[in-house]
Amino acid sequence: MKVSLFITCLCDTITPDVGKDTIQLLERFGCEVDFPAAQTCCGQPAYNSGYKKEASKGMKQMIQAFENSDYVVGPSGSCVQMIKEYPSVLKEEPGWRERAEMLASKTYELTQFLVDVLKVEDVKSTFKGTATYHPSCHMTRLLGVSDAPRKLLENVEGLTLIDLPEKEDCCGFGGTFAVKNAAISGQMVQEKADHIASTKADYLIGGDMGCLMNMGGCMRRNNQEATVLHIAQVLNSQ
Amino acid sequence: MVVHNRERFLDQLAERLNRPRRTQVDAPVYSVQPQDRVFHGATQDELVHILEEQCKVIHTDVIKTTSGELADSIRQVMDTYKVNRLVSAGGPRFDSSGLIDSYDDMRRDGYLVHVWEEEKGQENVTFAEKAGAGIVFSDITLAESGTVTLFNDRFNGRSISLLPETFIAIIPKSTLVPRMTQAARLIHEQEQKGVPVSSCVSFISGPSNSADIEMNLIVGVHGPVKAAYIVVDDL
Amino acid sequence: MSIRIGDKPYADRIKDGIGNDFMRKAVSSAQGRFRTGRLKAAEELGDWEDWRTLGEEIRHHTMENLDYYLHQLSEQVEKRGGTVFFAQDASEANAYIQEVARKKQAKKVVKSKSMVTEEIGLNKALEESGCEVVESDLGEWILQLDEDPPSHIVTPALHKNKAQIRETFANKKGYTQTDDPFELAAFAREQLREDFLNADIGITGCNFAVAESGTATLVTNEGNARMVSTLPDTQITVMGMERIVPTWEELEVLVSLLTRAAVGQKLTSYITSLTGTRLDNEVDGPEDFHLVIVDNGRSKIIGTEFQSALHCIRCAACINACPVYRHVGGHSYGSIYPGPIGAVLTPLLDGYEDHKELPYASTLCAACTEACPVKIPLHEHLIRHREIIVEQEHMTTKSEEILMKGFAKWASTPAAYQLSTKMARTALSPWTKGGHIEKGPGPLKGWTAERDFPAPAKKSFRKWYQERQKRRED
Repeated sequence: MKVSLFITCLCDTITPDVGKDTIQLLERFGCEVDFPAAQTCCGQPAYNSGYKKEASKGMKQMIQAFENSDYVVGPSGSCVQMIKEYPSVLKEEPGWRERAEMLASKTYELTQFLVDVLKVEDVKSTFKGTATYHPSCHMTRLLGVSDAPRKLLENVEGLTLIDLPEKEDCCGFGGTFAVKNAAISGQMVQEKADHIASTKADYLIGGDMGCLMNMGGCMRRNNQEATVLHIAQVLNSQ
Repeated sequence: MVVHNRERFLDQLAERLNRPRRTQVDAPVYSVQPQDRVFHGATQDELVHILEEQCKVIHTDVIKTTSGELADSIRQVMDTYKVNRLVSAGGPRFDSSGLIDSYDDMRRDGYLVHVWEEEKGQENVTFAEKAGAGIVFSDITLAESGTVTLFNDRFNGRSISLLPETFIAIIPKSTLVPRMTQAARLIHEQEQKGVPVSSCVSFISGPSNSADIEMNLIVGVHGPVKAAYIVVDDL
Repeated sequence: MSIRIGDKPYADRIKDGIGNDFMRKAVSSAQGRFRTGRLKAAEELGDWEDWRTLGEEIRHHTMENLDYYLHQLSEQVEKRGGTVFFAQDASEANAYIQEVARKKQAKKVVKSKSMVTEEIGLNKALEESGCEVVESDLGEWILQLDEDPPSHIVTPALHKNKAQIRETFANKKGYTQTDDPFELAAFAREQLREDFLNADIGITGCNFAVAESGTATLVTNEGNARMVSTLPDTQITVMGMERIVPTWEELEVLVSLLTRAAVGQKLTSYITSLTGTRLDNEVDGPEDFHLVIVDNGRSKIIGTEFQSALHCIRCAACINACPVYRHVGGHSYGSIYPGPIGAVLTPLLDGYEDHKELPYASTLCAACTEACPVKIPLHEHLIRHREIIVEQEHMTTKSEEILMKGFAKWASTPAAYQLSTKMARTALSPWTKGGHIEKGPGPLKGWTAERDFPAPAKKSFRKWYQERQKRRED
């Protein structure tokens, strides 16, 4: 199966390890993974800020970059969800809407792809420790992916999952919200960090680098000890 | 009895909807009807059980009785709540249930009982305001929500179920339906037949309450503070 | 009062909200209870999604045929002895109600809870024409005594604690007892009972009007709306023009959705359906009934992409689910309609000028959309608002515009994008310490005021990938 990696700009620049783990994980299950170098950012920062015109320029770039791919898989529910919305964003642009639909229909979030397409629920990984999982809002509510990461994590050997209190609450990231409404965002992430601390888990696991960067940044400021990991890093641990 | 400014207002709406004014709309067909599935096919006894369970949630006492024992049951409830002034709805059902006669017995025993009558005018309201309990027959009883439906009319003033501290509803078992769906459907069908709905339909589920002060549930605010349902098995 | 409350700027309101510890604790615990109640009520039904679908379909159908149903409603009300007044805006509505009060020589008006009368500033208008206006919903009464606006559309005094309420009662009404909620409520019962009995006019809002029969339905728990519609001889019911259903069958469904989504109740204590005046042979209830149907900016929403915002049944489920609301409270929104639905509705009804920050007061987490019992895509509406603020209203800052133009260039030019992945680490190095930025420049400033920002990696993913490919080819 040929798969193109959609790295997302945050993983590309800040946490390249997540990309490496994603590739290795997919390869372990027989995928032939390529990385179309013309890909950029999904456009969400501009789109969610109301800059639709500006966002759509990047979106078209993404559509072109993945035009020849069979499957597009990314380690982020939020960025994948953005691609799922391309057809509606570009609905009034002749030609682009159809191309956007093509891309949207072949794009998957990593855990969704593993469980729904590759039909893998146990990736045979081993990871020792206690962890709590934050189900990101866009992945859960908009993309509708909530069972897949849970199933995959439950099957990781050595990993003990501790339920995160009020887990469905947003961490306060919200893209440009964290900058524009920094004070509110700060309160939200502090509340989240407190919930994480209350689990006493060694690790915080999530499926979206934006949220993890937000929670991790707050936990670091608080001198909290838990280590922040992307789910790809746990699933690729042997 | 006039309608002011209507045409200008509605013309503007039609314009916004980008079409001419509609004078005919077909009854809509909805894709799902989950309301019909709730307690579908439940027997009257099952509905009584559902009602009883819900009454625990809504702070309402349930007393089960028969038509022969009804008068005694009412007296029992009044004594339990230490009430001796009672305002009662009137009308055919009270007449046929024999309660009107038993009220005479109660009066002889020192209770003050007032039966709502159109001719007494404002006096009805004045008595209700001072009464310790108000008593009515439920017209339709909704098991799911523990609700008494009253079609208020000249025999059953709105004040009876509202002003006294204790609300007592007599619930003939035959009036139980699964939920509000069946009551609403009945009213809708009557409307379609040209039978106009009562000027006030009161769906009452237990005593009044409020959570406006620090989300503390306070039972008994402006309306009744206590509620009791007397379910009559053979009515 | 009108839609807008207070005149503090947004940033100050947020600061006040975040700084109000009592309010935040109260809101947080209330949200917890509301949420548990709503989820339990949904679970009991087992097929909540079907109910939501039905709710959405009913609202959609009604809005698409609103002119027809409003016409039918007004015909039926008239047939039942009532008078109907269609008001284009707040001033028309207020003037009509003032006129009714004048004709009745009314001295005292008693009201049950109504958001639309808050919206049009009815109390002030009536007071100006010499009437005493008494709010009878417990929460609204507390706020009225304290001259404070509501902070929640279902529990308006959520931001107040019992000690504050005791003090208000003591100062304004000579209350001498404790701050026990039961004693406070008993005092309100006793005080307001007199008002109900003496009032010349009762004013109610309207949760749902039923077109087929001309019925106004009120959904309450306290019983005050029943008082207001039972004791005074004149009743005026004020409704937003969208608060209507075709028949009793739809009424029942929406009432079920409302009570479950709002407070997790199967039904509230009182669902009161009022049609016209009392009959000639009836003793209580109004002998004169007026229905005032208010547009006040709503028709501008009809036919636009925001039309579904009018589907709102005012249950506050979105407010109770919103994490932003939890941390800032209702007053921070500067509108009588707070939370996600407030952020959507307020700019539509009252313009962007005073409310341009509201659509951004959301992380777009979609908890609101998920909670909405009639499936209003609230977070999507917020994005549409942002687009309008940027593209039509031009209300953003110059620096943001430049930044976003830069973004477009960056995201559509692979070479520029690739260069940035190479340069990011170096560019941020002056602010980086130990792999993290604790005090960032420019747009990072807000971020790092609250939390650390990770420094970009030494080697970007794409660089690693290129090298890996090269190794494989060699």
